[in-house]
Amino acid sequence: MQEWIDIVLRTLALFFTVLVSARLLGKRNIARITPFNFMSYIIISVIAALISVKIITNITLGFIALGIWVVLPIAFDYLALKSKFIHDIVNGKKTILIKHGKVMEESLLKLRLSGEELLRELRSKNAYNLADVEFALMEANGEINVLLKADKKPVTPHDLGNKVAPATEPQTVILDGNPLNGPLSSLGFNQGWLNSKLESMGVSIDNVFIGQVDSSGDLYLDLFDDSIMTPQPKVKEMIYANIEKCHADLMKFSLETQDEGAKAMYRKNVDKLKELKEKLEPYLLR
Amino acid sequence: MTVASQVKQTISSLKGVQGTLRIYSNQTRDQETKTVFDEALNVTDDVIKDMEKRLQTLEFEEPQYKGN
Repeated sequence: MQEWIDIVLRTLALFFTVLVSARLLGKRNIARITPFNFMSYIIISVIAALISVKIITNITLGFIALGIWVVLPIAFDYLALKSKFIHDIVNGKKTILIKHGKVMEESLLKLRLSGEELLRELRSKNAYNLADVEFALMEANGEINVLLKADKKPVTPHDLGNKVAPATEPQTVILDGNPLNGPLSSLGFNQGWLNSKLESMGVSIDNVFIGQVDSSGDLYLDLFDDSIMTPQPKVKEMIYANIEKCHADLMKFSLETQDEGAKAMYRKNVDKLKELKEKLEPYLLR
Repeated sequence: MTVASQVKQTISSLKGVQGTLRIYSNQTRDQETKTVFDEALNVTDDVIKDMEKRLQTLEFEEPQYKGN
């Protein structure tokens, strides 16, 4: 057999073997794997390359080595799922770098991490000031994660005592001018609903690049023609404004009327609408 | 504008609010939000009923302005 045919056959076989083993090894982010995983990936690729260009002449032996390097990491991954001990051996342990706002110098020494590097990593987590950091640790894959002090954390609606309406993920219902039936039916809508929405916005579906429906059922559109301004959904704000107006109207009636019974009735309803306004505010405005 | 027609206007805008709330209560996917909107529908319903009763009295008192 001519040598080049040999090389072509080997390379083709390895191409598909490596493709399959890469799938088997999982879809972990390559930038965030542990050092051991990184080495096993490199060894697999080097063995594959060596077989492919015939530096390893015996193809059977080459494939045996390759197989072991593919199977063993997978086997250990499964074992690590079952046992914490094996997990720590395979993946390593996290190391605490800052505790109660104090840097653990021994841990830094063990990791051979200089103060400069620690500060750089903290900055990349938006903690420019060491005084703001309550706790920091290095994960087994080398990533440093930071917990800021309670008074330096970003404010959430919970901190402000505000109630916000629950929001689920939006669904994309139009892409490139085509309605997507799967997401539409998962929302409980159909094309008729979509068409009536588009009609009320005065937009043709051919002109829509992306259309998304949020959890309250409002449709947001991005058009191919950017010079057209689409009316953004403001219906909820309108309802709120209308309730506010009715509230003011009732207050006026209650002040104007001479009839005591009617006054009491208006007062009662003013209170009801006020309560309603407060209750609906998170759902309509936030 | 007479009081009766002002009350009528308020009733119709409340009914508009109710209609839109009903649409939202039907198309929202979140159960909690749905409950809140449904409760809001009940409250507006009560208010509208009271106002309509008042409107009837007003129209009875001032029949010459009825229908304005």
